[in-house]
Order: sequence, then C-alpha cells, then structure tokens
Amino acid sequence: MPSVFWSNRVSSAAVILGLVASGSAVAQATKKGAAKAVSSTATPPFTTSRGEWPSYTGDTRGSRYSPLDQITAGNFGALEVAWRFKTDSLGPRPEFKLEGTPLMVGGVLYATGGTSRAVVALDAATGQQRWVHREDEGDRGAAAPRPLSGRGLAYWTDGREERILYVTPGYRLIALDAKTGARIPSFGTDGAVDLKTDIDQTILPDLVTGEIGFQGAPVVARNVVIVGAAFKEGTAPKSYKNNKGYIRGFDVRTGKRLWIFHTIPQKGEPGYETWLNGSAADAGNTGVWTQLTVDEDLGLVYLPVESPTGDYYGGHRPGNDLYGESLVCLDLETGIKKWHYQIVHHPIWDFDLASAPILADITVEGKPIKAVAVPTKQGILYVFDRVTGKPVWPFEEKPVEKGEVPGEWYSPTQPMPTKPRAYAQNGISIDDLIDYTPELRAQAVAIASRFKLGPIFTPPVVSKADGPIGTLARGPTNGGSNWPGGSYDPETHTVYVASSNAAPVVLGLVQPSKERSDMNWIAGIATAPGTGGGGRGGGLSVQGMPLFKPPYGTISAINLDKGEITWQVPHGETPDAVRNNEALKGMNIPRTGQSGFIVGTLVTKTLVIAGDPQVTTLPTRPRGAMLRAYDKASGAEVGSILLPAPVSGSPMTYAVNGKQFIVVAVSGGPYSGEYIALRLPDSGQR
Amino acid sequence: MHFEKRASSPRSVARTVWDSVYSVSQAVTGEAAYAKTCARCHGAALSGGDESPPLTGSGFLGNWNGLPLSDLQTRIRTTMPTDSVGIYDRQLITDVMAFLLKANGFPAGSVDLPKDVEPLKDITIQSSKP
Repeated sequence: MPSVFWSNRVSSAAVILGLVASGSAVAQATKKGAAKAVSSTATPPFTTSRGEWPSYTGDTRGSRYSPLDQITAGNFGALEVAWRFKTDSLGPRPEFKLEGTPLMVGGVLYATGGTSRAVVALDAATGQQRWVHREDEGDRGAAAPRPLSGRGLAYWTDGREERILYVTPGYRLIALDAKTGARIPSFGTDGAVDLKTDIDQTILPDLVTGEIGFQGAPVVARNVVIVGAAFKEGTAPKSYKNNKGYIRGFDVRTGKRLWIFHTIPQKGEPGYETWLNGSAADAGNTGVWTQLTVDEDLGLVYLPVESPTGDYYGGHRPGNDLYGESLVCLDLETGIKKWHYQIVHHPIWDFDLASAPILADITVEGKPIKAVAVPTKQGILYVFDRVTGKPVWPFEEKPVEKGEVPGEWYSPTQPMPTKPRAYAQNGISIDDLIDYTPELRAQAVAIASRFKLGPIFTPPVVSKADGPIGTLARGPTNGGSNWPGGSYDPETHTVYVASSNAAPVVLGLVQPSKERSDMNWIAGIATAPGTGGGGRGGGLSVQGMPLFKPPYGTISAINLDKGEITWQVPHGETPDAVRNNEALKGMNIPRTGQSGFIVGTLVTKTLVIAGDPQVTTLPTRPRGAMLRAYDKASGAEVGSILLPAPVSGSPMTYAVNGKQFIVVAVSGGPYSGEYIALRLPDSGQR
Repeated sequence: MHFEKRASSPRSVARTVWDSVYSVSQAVTGEAAYAKTCARCHGAALSGGDESPPLTGSGFLGNWNGLPLSDLQTRIRTTMPTDSVGIYDRQLITDVMAFLLKANGFPAGSVDLPKDVEPLKDITIQSSKP
C-alpha cells in the first residue's frame, strides 16, 4: 500500500458483509454498460445508472449520485490507489489548484488538467494515457480572468460519433473527437467557436485581453451545448462598466449559436426597468460562473446567476438589478425565459448563486412536485417548483437593514424561505464567538468590537481605521456552499451539502484612487500603513483559531419531502491550530470540522463521500487530508483514508470490469494537482 | 538602514516562525505589495475570495504546518499572481511573506526574513507555539 495512505480500517466482519452486499450491483452495472456499447444507439439523457459518469455532476441534474454499491461502510477504509495521474506536465508549470471532476464513459476517463487547461483521456481501469489535447492561446490565454485547469468538460454522442467539449481559458469552445482527441473540423471554425464573438456586445477592450471567460464545464443536453460566463474577482473592480455575462446555447453538431439570454436585459426587454437610470447599459458581469443544470425531460435549463459589477457596492446600478443573483429557467431549445426568481435583491454581498441547482422529484404532503433546490453561500437551500418557479415552501419578504454608504441604493426587503431552515451559520452575534475559555471569548469580543456585526443581509459599511473597519460577515463571498455544490439522492429525496461556517469576510468599503478604479467605492480596509493585517490579537482569528464556535464546517442531509434537516455532522478533522493550541491544553475538544468551500459531496447507494478541505498532521499519522465516508441514512462516519492533500474537486465514481472506482482531484498548498483513483484491493490480496 | 539588515543570517540551528524571523519594516513593504496585487483575489483582510483561499487562520496554517518557508516562497514565486506569474522578484515575494507572518500573528524581530532559498529551508512553519 502506498505510504501516503493511512486506512482507518473497520472490522473484518464488516468488510465481508460489504463484499456480499456489493458484488451483484456492480456486475449488473457492467452488463448494462456493455449492452449500451453494443447497441450503440444510446443518446442522452445522461445517467449514472450504467456505472458511468457521463456529465459533470454525473447527470445534468446536479445530482452527483451513483447507484454503485461495491464500496461500502464495511470496506471504505480498505480502499487503495488504483492509479494516479499527476498533471504537472500538462502545462508550462505545475498547477496547485486542480478542481476538475472527470467524466467516465465506455471505460475511458476524460479530464482537464494543467495550467493551460489540457484535456486528457485515460484508461479508466489503469490510468494509462490515451491522448492529450492542448490549445496554445498565448497572450489571450495568459489574460484569462478564470485561468488554470478548470472544472471539467462535457460528453456527447449520437450513438455513432462521440465528442468531448470544453471551454479554454481564452474563452473558446472546443469540440474534440472522443476517440482521438483531435478537433472536429465541422464544428465552428476547425473545431473551435470563439466565445468572445457573436455575443450581442463588443467584448472590450479587445479579443485578446477582453475580460470574460469560463472555468466551469459546459453542459450538453439533447443536442445543445450551453456555456457560462465569468469574470475576475469582483470585490474591487477597475470600473463600474464591464462586459456582460450573457449565456448562450450552441448546436453541439455545428457550433452554431442557437440562442442567447441577456442576463442583463437590453432596452425594451422585461427587467431592464429594474436597473434605474438606465444603468443596465454600463453594468456588467452577472454571468454564470458555476455549473448550469438541465432537465432533459422537460427541456428546461436552470441558470444560477452571479452578482452584477461591484460585489459589495451597487451605487452605480440602483434598483433590483435583474437577473443578478437570480435563478433563471430557460427553454433548452430556444433560450426563451420561462420564469425567474431573484434570490437577493440589489446584490451587495457577493451572494453569487455559486452552486449547480439540484433537480429533485419530491412528494410534499402527498403532492408530487418537480422541484429545483439551490444551495447557496447564505447556507440556505432555496427550493422551487421547477415548472412554475413558485417556492415549494413560502418565502417571506423580510425587512432588512438599510445601510449608509453614500450613493448606495438599498432594497428594503429580502426573500427568506420558511423551510428548510438554514444549514449554515450566516450572521454574526457575540454569542457566536469562540468561548472555549473566558480569555478566548474576551479576545474574540475585542476583535469583533472593531467591526459591525449583525444577521444575514447586514449591509457593508464605509471602512474606518478607528472602527468599524467593516461589517464582519459569514456567508458573503466564501461561506455556506460554493461551486462544489451538493448532491441529491433520488431514492430518499435527500440533498447532501457541505457548508463552511468559519470563513468571515470584511464588508468594508474605501474610496479608490482614480487610477485604481472609477467606482465610488471598492472593497478595502482603512488602516494606517503598517498596522494592517492584524495578527493573532487583531486579525480575524483568535490565537490562530477561528473567531467562532465550532462546527467550522458541516455536511447536512436535508429531506426535501419534509423540508427538514435530517442530520448534520461536523466535517473535517479539528485543525492543527486548534488541536495543538496552548490555550486549550488539557481540554477535550470534540471534532470541530473545518471551514473551506472546496468540499464537494458524492452520494452512492449507501454512502456520502467528501474530503477534508484542510491539511492536518496528527501524532498518529503523517500530514494530509482525509477522504471520509458517512452512512447516508444516519450521518455516522464509517470510514476514512488519508490523501496527500485536500480533495480540491468534487469526487466521482464509476465501475469498470466489475470494479468500482472513486476518482478525486487532489491539490493545494505545496502539493501540485493530481487525479487519484481508488478501488478495493483484489480479494486475494486482502 | 533597511538594506543593511538584509544581510543573510548565518545558517544555523533549525528555527520556526515563532523565532522572530522577520522585521516590522519588511512586513510594511510586503503589505503594500499585497494590497496592490494580492488583495484583489485574496481579500484586503486576507480572508479569501470566490477563487482564492484565505491566507490567515487555521486552514492556511494547516496547509503549511510543518513545512519550511522555502516551500511557501516557491509556491508563491512559481504561481502568483495567476495572470502575471513572475512579476515580483524574490525579494518582494519574501517581503509579502513577512506580511503574511505578521498577519498570522507570528512575532516580528529586528532582522529581515532572508530572500534566499537555503536559509528559508531552515525556518519551519509551526501553526502553534512549540
């Protein structure tokens, strides 16, 4: 067994039980897969029911679910490395932020990797490379607002031809022959569509440096490929004017544009009036940088839309700003809007809809509902009827605090679901602060006293060196759930989702110099030079520990028939800075979980699987990050193995030759990107 | 004078970040560079962004706990900033590291953090006071 691994083995009796329970299902999955290959007529809908993983979330529904059951509670701890694929050589230098989730179809695994976002096809059983495809984009690639290896790609077949589609850092849509990795000459121009053109606006300042890109996986459904749009981090933009993140669908055969949806309405279109003073003309961003979701049966696309320009300041775009931070439902074939729901009015908290919407066919009080559920940075799961757009459980428009930033426009209310209750911490009060000891609480109170505190939707403030430095917030930017999203179990109608509770951000605003930005206000902290950054007594942590009470991160199971959290467990080892802290010497600290928004969940027949977002070093094992399995019914941890670095992309699973594999992207800190495939040892080797 | 203090410390017994390995003036230089280039993604309060991890707190400390400062320097030097890798020289990167050490509450001293790899190999990041 490789030395980087450390198994928390369970009893051998449980291992045997696990084997007995698992064998038949994988055999069945393999048989079905073989049948599909022979008939060769299978087209989408995408499904994991044949033991494959043909779309970024397994299916196009945001599920991250597989019915495979060879890997169980009884044998998870016995997993070993089947193969590993280091991505260092796929680009000019190693990458340390590998966020991909591969696809697996017909025994071949497809993934993105490397600093210039190459595509590789690997033998799914052995990891041997079949082909690699890389685009050299020169200055255009270097200027990408969303660089590096991206999150994945899309697969399409008509039963005869097989294609892989992905978006380059320079924002071009590429179609490849899945068998060879060669571009499809009949698609776009010699296999590529320039996404900076034919976009109902002129991308400024030019095609090379014009800010727009996408690091997510395109989604293919029926014969349409849909591409998102993303920009640079937006807390301190150079200008209140920016390119607009319109969303487009293309013909997967030809690359021809089928439709475009103006996420910022143009003059004469509904919603334009929600941008007061004609501000829709200049405003930008408002794209979809996370994963899109499609209901292939209903022919509907769900767009989780991000913030308009200026994450924390919206004075240049007064009004509600549709479709900023809205869930938008479009017709798959035409792009015509069916409905929308704005989750945050006049966004000024960076509450981008950051997770793929999850489709769920549920039964509420005896009534079947085709629902869509959206995990959020707020730690609130917003649940809608996905046909009508009406909330499944009523939302209330709750009054929220009006801020005092000069020039800002405030929405007097925000929608708040009555069910399910929030699954993450999303506001800050003194009661939330660390209280292991009175001294630690006092230090935390002293830190907090320099900030404005309040519940969710407490507005940003002008930063003052003598206080408040800003509004201290949990949720905005990197709390709750982010791009890894959640999972959905169609058998139990349960959403599983990770959340980050202890990653506060400072919603402070400063006036930029004219050279820095033409915005009235951008994110910043007013401090006299040399005093910034704080430190253990003055930063956002207390003696290296989170400012807050645990749990710092959780996984929750939310039953959508009832709208209730059925279990919630701290996820992640207690951080070193807590476990070894002098101030806690002699105290017994229960597992705290970890904050971090890279936690993606995978749900199988019996397990919920997720990696720790942080590295820890224990007296009993070397440094590394655990991959954990929970009993999906109870939330009890049933096994874990040590990985050399955190799982930095959502895990996936598949079966080949009667064996179930789990593949995870691993990277972070000093550890460069690597895909690691895990499987059970052959029974003779146990 | 600031520059005179940059004379590299003699290779000595293993030290940790708790041994006052940077100077306040160096952290101030680093802070200005951080504010100019790093803050747009990692945040003015080093709290991270949508695409970028926090650079203070238990997650950051856990990722680097037990590793030499030379590893952190190499990581920054070879990957940051993502859209213009290499614009900062080793000296300025080391100054930014001094700022990160200050922001994470490690004590300052009277001597600058050396910019060369070899002496940095002898300084270990320890999340908690040894």
